[in-house]
Amino acid sequence: MVHKLQKDMLVSEFCGMRFDTPLVLLSGCVGFGEEYTRVKGFTNRDAGAVCLKGTTLEPRLGNPPHRVCETPQGMINAIGLQNPGARHVVDEILPTLDFDETRFIANISGSSIEEYAEVARIFDDSPIDAMEINISCPNVKEGGVAFGNDPDMSARVVEAVRAQTEKPLITKLSPNQTDIQENARRCIEAGTDAFAVINTLMGMAIDIEARAPIIGNNQGGLSGPAIKPVAVLKTHQVYQVCRDHGIPIIGQGGVTTADDAIEFLIAGASAVGVGTALFYDPLVCKKINDGIVAYLERHELTEVAQLVGTLVLNG
Amino acid sequence: MPKAPGRAHDATDTDNPPTVTDTMPNKRPHRDTIHVENARILERAEHPGDQVILRVHAPQMAASAEPGQFAHIQCDPDLPLRRPISILRVDARAGWADFLFKVLGTGTRRLAERRVDDLLSILGPIGKPFEARMTHRRPLLIGGGVGMPPMVFLADRLREIKGAYEPFVIMGSEVPFPFEARPSQIVVPGMPEGVIAAMPLLDDWGIASRLASQQGYPGTFEGYVTDLARAWLDALDEEQRKEVAVFACGPHPMLEAVAALAREYRLPCQVSLEEFMACGVGGCAGCVVEVQTPKGPAMKRVCVDGPVFEASAVFPAA
Repeated sequence: MVHKLQKDMLVSEFCGMRFDTPLVLLSGCVGFGEEYTRVKGFTNRDAGAVCLKGTTLEPRLGNPPHRVCETPQGMINAIGLQNPGARHVVDEILPTLDFDETRFIANISGSSIEEYAEVARIFDDSPIDAMEINISCPNVKEGGVAFGNDPDMSARVVEAVRAQTEKPLITKLSPNQTDIQENARRCIEAGTDAFAVINTLMGMAIDIEARAPIIGNNQGGLSGPAIKPVAVLKTHQVYQVCRDHGIPIIGQGGVTTADDAIEFLIAGASAVGVGTALFYDPLVCKKINDGIVAYLERHELTEVAQLVGTLVLNG
Repeated sequence: MPKAPGRAHDATDTDNPPTVTDTMPNKRPHRDTIHVENARILERAEHPGDQVILRVHAPQMAASAEPGQFAHIQCDPDLPLRRPISILRVDARAGWADFLFKVLGTGTRRLAERRVDDLLSILGPIGKPFEARMTHRRPLLIGGGVGMPPMVFLADRLREIKGAYEPFVIMGSEVPFPFEARPSQIVVPGMPEGVIAAMPLLDDWGIASRLASQQGYPGTFEGYVTDLARAWLDALDEEQRKEVAVFACGPHPMLEAVAALAREYRLPCQVSLEEFMACGVGGCAGCVVEVQTPKGPAMKRVCVDGPVFEASAVFPAA
């Protein structure tokens, strides 16, 4: 009975969806939803939602190797949106997923506004629970962060996708921009239902013997604990814009422990993304969930929602 | 007929290894195949050339590991991204696994600093293993440098099927071998004069082996592993050569040369690859290599689509 109660403490509502836990497995880290189930003890049920790999209209091969390398307290990646194309994902992959386990969110990417819209149209006619608009991928030449760093372009992408679907839309914001709050305002006007804050920070690592970048794409996206303070700040900044609109946020960037997740919730996130931490420990979600429950009990709270946005700024 | 080592795969899986898209709902054979274990280091041995052998207690991995598979190891808690290390040997009954690695960067340096009784977080076994087939009963195993471990593991499995296989193993290294080589008790046709040094473990198992290096180690062939392989192949008659399949792991240029040799002699050839890796379970697509498929070039993940690939897919004919 006590166990069930603890389980219920983690349940929340996000854009009308029931999340069994506040954790969201991040796009690009967990393939198309089944990859981590190879690991004994891992289950998608420990996450409220799973974001599938970024998907474009046509298949993409992605970037040349090396695509990943470890950096202090984090890692750099430049995968380059390798994916089999939206049609294949909807026809071949979605039917293999168990939608009883968690909510599955598509990650919509493109090189043009038309492509974003077309990918959204394809996913609209599928069992997918929601869509995340990826206007912040730092590792492709066209689209991605080029859209995400320009509030006008961001809004146009959101508007075009909104016209294709009634499913919940989550816009993934880039930290690599001057005014994330202005961008958030414009995306809300354009019809987004939620935000994911943040995508990776652009970075480079150099092989000093070869005097060349380690990553094949030269630069890539920095993730992991190193970016957590940036992500917490951006989450709070976006929360200040969203609060009055009732727009929820998935806070993400460097979460590896329950304490990290709680920081994001306090900063204003309604759900918390987990990515790089899975690479460190594939069974980390259960540990984070247990830690959140322990914190709620210690603070005599009964559900995660009571914690969201409770940050008290210093005078 | 005794069961051939290696996991059963669909005959058509060369270009399209099993992925989630091949599985039906509620029929997901990939699930729960990789274990997370806090493995205690039982033994640790250092060898010249910055080479280290660790024996760890990892009973779940040891129970299901196949030759060619690897473990994704957290080398140090302060360096949390794991490093893929190929499996040298396992003892399923005793529950241990051996790893041989060379210090190449920060991760392997930290791993080399770990001591007996330390705990290592190990994720494994991972990947598509080598697949020997009874139709090719003369496997030629070629291991170069840190590519030696999977060859020892494969030889160990081949010998379990008494008399079924007649393998020949060639090990190459440009740093001192991580074992004390000794004159072989097994005669190998075609070997140049004086090439008598063998890996003692393999010799004790009754498996023929010879060593190659440019460094002039005693009893060792002075040249490339592929030159020694050619000498062995040329000493076989036509019928015997048809029974040869090549298995290789080592530096990329060596694998390319092995693939070319296999193509020249029209031999099936599987190679094991490595690449920088993040998740190790197929989630991030960080570790891909470009391979040729009937549908054109594709980027395949070394971790779960490999690490073993058909050589012809990785090194297509020019």
